[in-house]
Amino acid sequence: MSTITYQAPLDPEGMVQTPQRPWRHKPRSFTMAVALAVVIPAVISAALFFFSPIPGAIVLTVIYFPLQLVASGIAAWATRGVRGIADSIIIVNAIGSTVFSVVVLLSLLGSLVVRGLRALSPHFIYQNSVFINPSTPLEYGGIGHALVGTILIVAIASLIAVPIGIATAVYITEVRGKAVPYVRFFVQAMSGVPSVVAGLFILTIAVSTGWFSQNALAGGLAYAILMLPTVARTAEEVLKLIPDELRTGALALGSTRARTVMRVVLPAAKTGIITAILLGIARVIGETAPLLLAAGNNDGTVINPFGQAIASIPVYIFNNVAVPYPDAVARAWGAALALMILIAVLFTLARVLGRGRVGRAK
Amino acid sequence: MSTAEFEEVAMMESDLISARKQAPSELRAENVSVWFGKRKVLENVNIDFPKNTVTALIGPSGCGKSTFIRTLNRLHELIPSAALAGSVLYEGKDIYSSDVDPVHIRLQIGMVFQKPNPFPSMTIRGNVLSGLKLSGMKRDNHDDIVEHTLTAAGLWTEVKERLNHAAGDLSGGQQQRLVIARALAVQPSVLLMDEPCSALDPASTLKIEETIRQLSKEVTIVIVTHNMQQAVRVADNTAFFLAQEGEPGHIVEQGLTTDIFGQPQDQRTLDYVNGRFG
Repeated sequence: MSTITYQAPLDPEGMVQTPQRPWRHKPRSFTMAVALAVVIPAVISAALFFFSPIPGAIVLTVIYFPLQLVASGIAAWATRGVRGIADSIIIVNAIGSTVFSVVVLLSLLGSLVVRGLRALSPHFIYQNSVFINPSTPLEYGGIGHALVGTILIVAIASLIAVPIGIATAVYITEVRGKAVPYVRFFVQAMSGVPSVVAGLFILTIAVSTGWFSQNALAGGLAYAILMLPTVARTAEEVLKLIPDELRTGALALGSTRARTVMRVVLPAAKTGIITAILLGIARVIGETAPLLLAAGNNDGTVINPFGQAIASIPVYIFNNVAVPYPDAVARAWGAALALMILIAVLFTLARVLGRGRVGRAK
Repeated sequence: MSTAEFEEVAMMESDLISARKQAPSELRAENVSVWFGKRKVLENVNIDFPKNTVTALIGPSGCGKSTFIRTLNRLHELIPSAALAGSVLYEGKDIYSSDVDPVHIRLQIGMVFQKPNPFPSMTIRGNVLSGLKLSGMKRDNHDDIVEHTLTAAGLWTEVKERLNHAAGDLSGGQQQRLVIARALAVQPSVLLMDEPCSALDPASTLKIEETIRQLSKEVTIVIVTHNMQQAVRVADNTAFFLAQEGEPGHIVEQGLTTDIFGQPQDQRTLDYVNGRFG
């Protein structure tokens, strides 16, 4: 038997073939048209921005964007005919909207970093604000007490809202009882509760009645009211995506309903459930009104959730941002930046933990 | 062995075991009718599944075979609009009587589905053993169970090096053999298979069919299939289901596989097994 050795196929000139991407080759006229369509509106807008009194925002929205649309349309029409025009409008819109939203997000983060960085320092993270007043220079005091408070309050809210929220989602998608439409309706209605109302509710039923004072538990309860519908609805959407074949498969193996949910459905939905929890936390962590009413404020560090009033980052920001002392305002921005970093850390941590044992093959 | 030879041997084999058809029936459907909402989809199905035999359910799509097989281990009732009349007797007792726990029934009457459904959160090994965990069975020899059932399902040599990999990494055909191993691990006495080979390549299909023949020494098997040759190769008995336009499905003819394919009594059976419709 003869063996056949593999030989690279030769093209007509006898050259060894190299990988090509022929679909990327465009005629020179096309490249020119695209370049002109990009450059001309940009140059006109830049000229107007620098040499005319028209404000930049107006140049961008009223002049640059329509101009870009028209220029791309003409370029498309010249190179590809009438059919190209609609195409170019959609492409310009898609790219424009993406750039716009990214710019908004980046400028938000940028302004936070620029203004917050001045206050940020190690002692700002761990010191509390006892003996600190708005005129105290930035070398003293910090948000340690508020960080502890926010973490404590969010932890309490999560302990309450996450189990109830997931249980609600399980009721809707797995138990499928008779009350599903009503439960859905109430969850939906609950997600419309304004945060200040949640705070007022806890204030009136728990704090004003003397049941317990303004503290981390009261703040956590108010947060839980806001968190619950987000967790429940997101978890419901996630559980709906789990194919029914898994449930029937488990039941066909002699599994009970409860075991099916605990050992098959929820583990299969793990990443989604973690997303639901994160969205719940993200929903509440910056809420100020409920904590002003239910948790109060404190300059010192409080650890006991059942104790006295407790500080939190949103309330700290609220109290510092509107005073006529630059250092206090800087502290507020620093606290806002710290809150963003805290959220980023929390989310990264949850994602890493959520990766789980059963990974893809290496 | 060529297909023709294989069929010949299978024929001879089924002649030999035709005596076994007289064995006491393990599972038996009596006057089973099924509805979804107001629509009746199955009418008066009477069929016997003798112990340790393979019964093939054949018939065109939409004639109620899959619906029927799901009534045999009480998966039918999971569909909210489902209704049922008649009775299904397992070891002489109606599985739909009010004192019977469906979980208990499903443990003894296992099922393999048309679409492979391994649990994505578990490893290959975890999937095989999932039935034990989910049903709360206690067994010590987990390694033996894993090896034995995966061998029976024709998957052992392909996965023995990576039992701790995610089940989702397997190909479709491998996943199907994995769920067959999973169904075997709880040692059911009846195994229902709803078109188990429709997603498999010919080589895997042959492995599964060998597995079915092997298993039929200890397990009663009911298999829905669209593949006539498969029915001939694996089944002792065959039942032909048919649903006329707008009418509920029913059994047109049933009996020994050799009779159904060799000398069918009904013209429609003859047409169907010869591929003239459906």
